[in-house]
Amino acid sequence: MNVQRSSNGKMKGKELITVGIFSAIYFAINLVFMVLGGLHPIIWILMPAFIALFTGVPYMLLCAKVPKIGAIMLMGLITGIIYFATGTFTVVILVAFLLACILAEAIRYMTGFRSSVGNLLSYVAFSVGMIGSPLPIWLFRNDFLAQIKEQGIGEHYVQVLDDLATGKMLVIMIILTIVCAFIGAAVAKVLFRKHFEKAGIV
Amino acid sequence: MLKLDPRTCIILLVIANAVIFIQRNIAIEIIWVGLLLLLLCICGAVRSVVKLAAVFTACIVIQYFVFPVAPKSVVSIFFILISYARKVIPCLIVGTLTMKTVTVRELTAALLKWKVPYSLIIPLSVSIRYFPAIKEEIGYIRDAMKLRSIRFTDKFECMIVPIMMSATTTSDELSAAAVTRGIENPCKKTSIIDIRFGIADFVCIAVGVLFIALAVIFR
Repeated sequence: MNVQRSSNGKMKGKELITVGIFSAIYFAINLVFMVLGGLHPIIWILMPAFIALFTGVPYMLLCAKVPKIGAIMLMGLITGIIYFATGTFTVVILVAFLLACILAEAIRYMTGFRSSVGNLLSYVAFSVGMIGSPLPIWLFRNDFLAQIKEQGIGEHYVQVLDDLATGKMLVIMIILTIVCAFIGAAVAKVLFRKHFEKAGIV
Repeated sequence: MLKLDPRTCIILLVIANAVIFIQRNIAIEIIWVGLLLLLLCICGAVRSVVKLAAVFTACIVIQYFVFPVAPKSVVSIFFILISYARKVIPCLIVGTLTMKTVTVRELTAALLKWKVPYSLIIPLSVSIRYFPAIKEEIGYIRDAMKLRSIRFTDKFECMIVPIMMSATTTSDELSAAAVTRGIENPCKKTSIIDIRFGIADFVCIAVGVLFIALAVIFR
């Protein structure tokens, strides 16, 4: 892992602890929407967008607090490990999440960690990683539908899912996630100005 | 009361995941869940056993006896939730086992034995420790919001800002405490906790592997 090497020193105890705490908050918000996603297929498909809308503040604050390589990678890793521990993961989401984290790290690295545009773009990249959760619907469309049918998931639900899983829906999901990531980052920015900068946290 | 090695808990977690994703046979699933519940019982968490067993039974009963006769619209809303809950239960049992019997210190010692780098162990253990704190925090914020009757549109802001503020303070305080205790000391760290595999650990893992084999054979 790249955590050890970094452009401006490796992460020390303090930064590692900060990453741990913000990961917990990110995961908590993430989990709320994961659970909601089980209620109806449409919520599942829109889940990455919802998550992008609400996790902007912890992400941006983490970026501001730990301007070093590896912070986002670790956050993604911890989220992945905890999801694994609760048994709610597929390989697709792990791969998608990993790619998104690497991309987000690369963007942060290239923009020098402090640029607000860079952090914004890295947040967008990071958010898009969550589409790994509903992505199997498209990737293994027939396989997946057959499999969940076999596992005893209702015909009716599968039908709803099948109707939703069109190419158009995929594009809508990705665009919506990106738009929501921008909005989430903007909200974070407003809250930074209004609260965190005054309190001297950022 | 039986006490398992933390590493056994982690391995069991992996096995529980594997069994649930491979198996298609309800008999195997029920026996597997039953054995895990028995293990949890032996380890002394009887109340959790009762709760988890009730949830699992409810899931099975609803899926096989209620859904065939329930109206389609109700089924479509609850089916995924119920099937999902059923899938998650074995992992939840092992998760409960880990939470009830393994302290974060022991977990850290176990991960150290596996040579997991410090840069992962530290944030991971902090994360796990911090969850109860978030829950507590949210409770307080809710109470405060009720008192002042915050508008619905302001709720997100009023929730996230205090959480982030307290997270920042906590991370500062925690770091100060950790630095005092030598977290940044570069030399190899030792642990007072001695963990080793016993007979029970080998038995648990062997049974787990057996179930993976059964799940593959009878799918």
